[in-house]
Amino acid sequence: MHAMMFSVRQLLRVAAVAATSLCLQAVDAAVPGITGPSFNLVAAAGRISQPDGASVYAWGYGCNGAPTSFAPTAVQGANCPSGAMQLPGPTLIVNQGDTVTVTLTNNLPAAAGNTSILFPGFQVTATNGAPGVLTREAPHGYSVTYSFVASTPGTHSYYSGTRGDLQIEMGLYGALIVLPKLNGGIPTGYTTPAGLPVTCRAVSATSPSGQTDFRLAAAAYDNPAACYDREYLFQFSEMDPRIHVQADQQSNLSCASPTGCMTIAIEPYKAAYFMINGRSMPDDMDSHYAVQYPNQPYNGNPHMHPGEITLLRIIGQGRMQHPFHEHGNHVRLLARDGNLLLSQTQGSNSLAGPLLFTTTTTPGITLDGVYQWTAKGLNWDVYGHVKGGTPGVDTEPCYPDANGYYTTASNPPAPPTAHNYYEWCLDHEKPLEAHAFGDVGSGGPVTLPDPNVLQNGAWYSGSPYLGPDATQRAVGNTPLPPTGTIANSPKSEAGFAFMWHSHNEREITTDNIFPGGMLMMMLVDPWVYVIDESN
Amino acid sequence: MEHRASEICRFDGGLAMSSFARLGFKFLVVAGLMAGGAAQAQNFRTQCPTSTTLHPLVNLNGVVTGTSADIYPNPHIKCQQVSGGDGYATMADGTQIYMFSFGPLSGLADIVNGKPGTQPSAVFNQSNVDASGNVLDAIKVGAPDASYAFNGAIGLVPDPTSTPPNLIDGHVDPRLIMDVGVMNGNIPAPLIAIDEGDELFLTLTNVGMIMRPDLFERHTLHFHGYPNASSFYDGVPDASVAINIGASFTYYYLAPEAGTYMWHCHISPPEHLQMGMVGQLYVRPRQNSVASGTDLGVALKAANQSSPGSNGVKCNDVLCALQMPLPAGANPSTGATGKVAVPGRMYAYNDGDGVSGYDVEYPIQLHGFDPNFHFVGMTFNPESFVDTKDKFFLMNGRSYPDTTVSGPLNTQASDGTPHFSQPLPSLINIPAGKKALLRFSDLNVTEYHTLASLGIPMHVVAYNARLLRDMDGNNTDYYTNSVTLAGGESVDVILDATDTTKYPAGSIFYLYTQQLDHLSNDAENFGGMMTEVRIN
Repeated sequence: MHAMMFSVRQLLRVAAVAATSLCLQAVDAAVPGITGPSFNLVAAAGRISQPDGASVYAWGYGCNGAPTSFAPTAVQGANCPSGAMQLPGPTLIVNQGDTVTVTLTNNLPAAAGNTSILFPGFQVTATNGAPGVLTREAPHGYSVTYSFVASTPGTHSYYSGTRGDLQIEMGLYGALIVLPKLNGGIPTGYTTPAGLPVTCRAVSATSPSGQTDFRLAAAAYDNPAACYDREYLFQFSEMDPRIHVQADQQSNLSCASPTGCMTIAIEPYKAAYFMINGRSMPDDMDSHYAVQYPNQPYNGNPHMHPGEITLLRIIGQGRMQHPFHEHGNHVRLLARDGNLLLSQTQGSNSLAGPLLFTTTTTPGITLDGVYQWTAKGLNWDVYGHVKGGTPGVDTEPCYPDANGYYTTASNPPAPPTAHNYYEWCLDHEKPLEAHAFGDVGSGGPVTLPDPNVLQNGAWYSGSPYLGPDATQRAVGNTPLPPTGTIANSPKSEAGFAFMWHSHNEREITTDNIFPGGMLMMMLVDPWVYVIDESN
Repeated sequence: MEHRASEICRFDGGLAMSSFARLGFKFLVVAGLMAGGAAQAQNFRTQCPTSTTLHPLVNLNGVVTGTSADIYPNPHIKCQQVSGGDGYATMADGTQIYMFSFGPLSGLADIVNGKPGTQPSAVFNQSNVDASGNVLDAIKVGAPDASYAFNGAIGLVPDPTSTPPNLIDGHVDPRLIMDVGVMNGNIPAPLIAIDEGDELFLTLTNVGMIMRPDLFERHTLHFHGYPNASSFYDGVPDASVAINIGASFTYYYLAPEAGTYMWHCHISPPEHLQMGMVGQLYVRPRQNSVASGTDLGVALKAANQSSPGSNGVKCNDVLCALQMPLPAGANPSTGATGKVAVPGRMYAYNDGDGVSGYDVEYPIQLHGFDPNFHFVGMTFNPESFVDTKDKFFLMNGRSYPDTTVSGPLNTQASDGTPHFSQPLPSLINIPAGKKALLRFSDLNVTEYHTLASLGIPMHVVAYNARLLRDMDGNNTDYYTNSVTLAGGESVDVILDATDTTKYPAGSIFYLYTQQLDHLSNDAENFGGMMTEVRIN
């Protein structure tokens, strides 16, 4: 039942257990899902796991038979076992203009009664099944079919339209992604400004840097400002375990009623689990389709390179608002509920969405936003280049492109393998440290504290600088005491970690244990580090 | 460099690792340096240089001349020291409530007067001892008091090991830090205010939490909302470093774009934020120093063009980094909007058209305390996050009617002396015919707040430290009667009292929460998140 209350002091013990799950291979993200435009889904019962060891009885949508295919193809290990539930439900990926058909079969326990799916934002025709209040429903053991034209691109949600206070709590929700009608090509009107690298490119196997292209599309909308290099989907939801326990206890009641036979107290509602994509931290940072979470296939583990435009697809599921705070920079809001926010100026397609450092999620609302990190204006060289140093040893060139960054549009162009690709050249060779120990710039404004008076975090790369080359020069070829960082290796990654989390801080807990809940670490990785989102 | 797919992942029993430096390479170098002079291993210290490469020494008039007249500290280097520790505050029902909190260790005279504690280096770097070596009266247990006049950093004393000796170089006497810093917590935390272009050196000094001897709690300082942030100075312990008890860490940042930000500890945030380690930070725009008579749009266009590739009119990147779209009606070649700078006029943002102009400003932070959580936190018991429920609803650490008290609130310490615990008033006084800027920030840990204005409309000009304007330069500001904020959000609201017929001197309006159950102070059923707006 309701959790034992753990002291925050006990976090170390629990987190120790939880953190071993971080010891896996590259576990980045992308937006995996299944393609249609016809989908056969089930609603079924299952169990999901929490990092405190709890196994929570839940309901969710899943596949009924093999899906048409999985996307993006570069993500490995994709699966959608027939008849099994997942939380959130399978991410449905379609193209704008598709006629989407979803046939839902109700394999929930009879005691749950009917179930259904709503597709807010679309004109849905429902056939078969039984009449319901918000839409037609599938009785226990039967099916219902929904059909609509995916006219609106962007990020959308789907969720149960039957007894939502119980069924959505139990996990019956998922995402629907509508790719703009560009067939992977770039939006109309996009042109690369003179002297700048191409920032909108068609989907292909690799990007110009040679790293794998994991995107579903070149842009979120048919608008030149909606291009992106990387994308992530974050669905926010919560659970009150007392409700799940009651449903579990009553799941075997024999029942012939369309409204089910369960009597469950929903109020007072006390959420104890707070999840991103159905998982609490640190499980959310394990891989997609990880075998230890058979019913929770999706993760939340954003990575990006400096300068990359990252698309955030944010969905409020469940019943509570969450102030989702992104450390490191603002997010430019592109769209709400699939509607681009555009300028008042007649005929303009300029963006009008606000810049937000906290993108509040609200149940029923979806947001699309773009984010980018560049170190512009920091006033010190994040690569620790030494003024007057030896090129190739402790400094390297930074030729600015038209916007001031060292890129392929610079003259001479930056090789994509440069340690400092996308460096902000106006801060080149500006030192941070007054008297650096290592082979990094000196004469800067600050003296770093003695490491004896500090505690190092699990995602600390070992130095204030970005990248393994700079970190190596700054602190030498030794792992951080006592055993090296777990999740941001100084020798290969050495990225800048930023916490992305709900700012209702109570929600970065898992049933009274900190850390947990709605928390992810976003890594800005140097370009030399290959971001592998294959699983 | 190839990505190695299988990094060996060893795990020795805890996310929190102790920090014994067994770096052979490093010790060699440390030993060499210590032979040279400056003791690297001292724990408490401050950092506040008088000059940097960006801001060299200046002459008597504050100008960099490049001559031998440049011997004065550059005024654009700002410094502040805060303690990380604990303290007590007084709630509106009289309850003394325990908190984890930041307290002021510099700028104390200003803080007591409700002003930001940030000082230029010339003020910060003052010795705490006089020429005879006697400690100044101001540096004593229980400082500051009502007559406080000292704005320097606490603890600074001449450094016997400097070359030449006895320089004020950040060397501190730990006794002075502990005399003032222990249990001197403030709610909200010391106010930070800087100008665009400033370099800020913010020293966090961990004095320990006296009421919790069981905790070896570290603290950090997160600059919430900073664009293009540095991970090392972002204050997230998991992503960087956290400072132990008995030590100082100096955060360094060039001021970001103008706006209303906030700051807070990021150690165990569900606990440390609920317990009170929350504060405010704002950056004043360079538009405030545009020469009188100069067109604001012309100045904005020129400032935009310091970004390579910018035409000064439109942003050259989707996040408008270090740029602001020129107002839609401005002359595209000169930038002129017809709005000129007038002496003494202040703006919240570099708007180029004056839309964020104001006469008086009030930073107001929304927060809440759960008295049960704080009691449990004081008495070494496990806290329940699931059951956290605020009962005190705070605006700058106060609830009604304390929100209408001018001057600082104090809380009696165990020796009977009053400590200033809540220095920032939340009473809004607007001179008749003027405009007030309310810089709202929220650091509540459990719920959203809606704050309504009764009688005088709210003009929302900016949100999350960014002016509301689309990428074509059209303002997207709006008028409303309420704003809704959750923890981690900020909004800039202007209360426009220029119409003296509607808002004559002597009027009183109210700012209050629409969560009507939050108009209470625990069991007292009237009070809570409410304050008065007085037209003077």
